Amino acid sequence: MLLHILNRSQSSSRVPLDTLRAMSGNDRLLLIEDGVYGAVGPLANVFAAIQGRVYALQEDLASRGLEDRRDPAIELVDMDGFVALTEQATQTVSWY
Amino acid sequence: MNYALLVQGAPYSQQAAHSALRFAHALIVRGHTLGTVFFYHDGVYNASRLAAPPQDEPHLVEAWRQLHEDHGTSLLVCIAAALRRGIIDEREARRHGKEGYTLEAPFELTGLGQLIDVHTSHDRLVTFSP
Repeated sequence: MLLHILNRSQSSSRVPLDTLRAMSGNDRLLLIEDGVYGAVGPLANVFAAIQGRVYALQEDLASRGLEDRRDPAIELVDMDGFVALTEQATQTVSWY
Repeated sequence: MNYALLVQGAPYSQQAAHSALRFAHALIVRGHTLGTVFFYHDGVYNASRLAAPPQDEPHLVEAWRQLHEDHGTSLLVCIAAALRRGIIDEREARRHGKEGYTLEAPFELTGLGQLIDVHTSHDRLVTFSP
């Protein structure tokens, strides 16, 4: 299982779509930095197909004032949880 | 686990270096080892010994150095990326006829091939890019 780390959102970049296309099997996706904009409202619908395997970094949501607006289908993780996700994955792939 | 981080973002310009530093601290708190941080592309600016940020802001260069002192983390800087950006140690400064130098231990100039070694010798390599 790979952990894909994404710091772009679909409102300003096509990288998230490339990431989704590259994901397979039980790969997981973590949204960090500006990637967390993709965890909000209708934008998050793009992740419907991989529901249950999408995470967003809590402190990046909080620093953008978006903690309360996260789509509930996207799981919240803190920095400790970020490390845990990298433990569970065999490798990580960063998308930027 | 033994972790390595690849940092490609300049300090204070993008979030990458800050994210990497917070991740570094978090992995150590969880009981892992941070063996190496490799600075590449604009990430090499993280090694500038002349950085003088305001006192109420995080001092990234100092924070990396502290990781080396507290945990023995290697701080490797890609020499090709660094030299062309003016990040040079005393030896390279002499070789290129420059008066000053901008990089000093514990940061080390190294070849990009070293990044391949880092990838194979650590359990995890996590990239932080702008």
